[in-house]
Amino acid sequence: MTSVTTQEKARQTLDVAAIRQQFPILSQKVHDRPLVFLDSAASAQKPEAVIEAMARTMRCQYANIHRGLYWMSERTTEAYEAVRDQVARFLNAPSREEIVFTRNSTEAINLVAHSFGSLLKPGQAVVISEMEHHANLIPWQMLRDRAGIELRVAPITDAGDIDLDALKDLLADGKVALVAVTHMSNVLGTVTPAKVIADMAHAAGAQVLFDGSQSVVHRKTDVQALGADFYTFTGHKLYGPTGIGVLWARKELLEAMPPFLGGGDMISTVSFEKSTWANVPHKFEAGTPAIIETIGLGAAISWVEEIGFEAIAAHEAALTAYALTRLADVPGLKIVGQPKERGGVISFVMDDVHPHDIATLLDRNGIAVRAGHHCAEPLMRRLGLTATARASFGIYTLPEEIDTLADTLVRIRNFFV
Amino acid sequence: MNGLAESGALYDRLIVDRARTPLYAGQLEQADVQGEGKNPLCGDKTRVALQMADTHISQIRHQTRGCAICLAAADLMAERLTGLTVPQALDLSHRFFAMLVAEPASALNANTDTPALGPLEAFAPLRAHRARIRCAELPWVALKEALSHVDV
Repeated sequence: MTSVTTQEKARQTLDVAAIRQQFPILSQKVHDRPLVFLDSAASAQKPEAVIEAMARTMRCQYANIHRGLYWMSERTTEAYEAVRDQVARFLNAPSREEIVFTRNSTEAINLVAHSFGSLLKPGQAVVISEMEHHANLIPWQMLRDRAGIELRVAPITDAGDIDLDALKDLLADGKVALVAVTHMSNVLGTVTPAKVIADMAHAAGAQVLFDGSQSVVHRKTDVQALGADFYTFTGHKLYGPTGIGVLWARKELLEAMPPFLGGGDMISTVSFEKSTWANVPHKFEAGTPAIIETIGLGAAISWVEEIGFEAIAAHEAALTAYALTRLADVPGLKIVGQPKERGGVISFVMDDVHPHDIATLLDRNGIAVRAGHHCAEPLMRRLGLTATARASFGIYTLPEEIDTLADTLVRIRNFFV
Repeated sequence: MNGLAESGALYDRLIVDRARTPLYAGQLEQADVQGEGKNPLCGDKTRVALQMADTHISQIRHQTRGCAICLAAADLMAERLTGLTVPQALDLSHRFFAMLVAEPASALNANTDTPALGPLEAFAPLRAHRARIRCAELPWVALKEALSHVDV
């Protein structure tokens, strides 16, 4: 039977049992059932290595950074700045000075919309896609209303891929300054053809931004190979803490952009008449940053890299394939989207059972999934839906958990129909 | 449905039945007042139409796009309120909200004229599901808007 073979395959690519032991939370029970956590796309759980790195910082080696002239501050500054090197390697960025720490991916995109956006002139345009998370939609809408630029939306196909022909048409008049699209959809799981999109944007004289929040978790990211100009991601989906995100941008862009937030740490000289800005990336990091969270992100990246993206990608591809076959057997269940390339995210709807009822009943059985519009209302409208249920997988997801999901969905269906 | 039904204590049989086969769904040819409730978080929507006979609500119909809780709440609300006066309907609305947030009944200055919640008590387990309380409230939000149009 095919599904057994796929289940075997999902089991073999990674020692998931050993990995799970590193996540204290996964041994918790919910409503007296073992926790089946299938909401990593919203936020992933944290391994001991991350928890410990953050706790150790607070216990043993903590002070404010970049200003203290004492041992403790210098050590903390080193630890913080070492993560910048680490992130640069993680993204294969040409320079550590191109790594800007933000609060999350949303803030990173807002930074670009504010600072790069302030360089745009009325008549110029920004292109997004129909399947963007609100994080990569609202900042551009706000820019449009503030700066009088045009916001164009590249449609998606019924399968859930960006319609590249339509995108080409949107770029044709040469007015587009930036194409800002997701690298992997949080709803459909679609992995977008970033390199192709970057080439198209550049041919039309536009820069390109990829929202990598979902994507960096599942595969090796190489901003140079992708041809990106801006790339954003967030720590908490990458098994790291909340409160820390990353903007990578080409240095010449960062240098041309005015600051985003003003305050301490981002200045060179200050007087009441005039102040000058620090060099990049510090120009974009006003105020005391999320020091502990940044160190936590560094620990998360080390942890993920130790497992290796080859094993992670193989594990998640096998899991996703297995889940697609198991869910296809649930009566009345419809999987939303059939993109050409899919990461470990599956949205679905069931005849006659509302996604919120699905999520509540799954929860009563210990299974955590997301239900709703997933911060992508225009996409829901495009799909003719108001909400979906979504299961998403991580390094620690077991094929048995997908069995539990599928079996419980059959029972939920019987309960309502 | 053994385990699932127990674990889903929230989904009283009455709620599931009414969600599947609502008795008060539809439009009123001659509605006197109407109201709408929308939940931006989930996209659920309900429209409530009332026909008045003197001071009493003579007929209620709802058009609901929502989850089982929301659908059943709209349908059972319509059933329970038919024949009541506007003040009675508002009293019942207060009692329903109070039940959902588990306020002690004594704190409500319970009016002896207020009709009992009756079948609406099926929603009491929502107390333990704070994220879903809004689903049951939505039809009542629509009702409130409708009643605000009634000249008393």
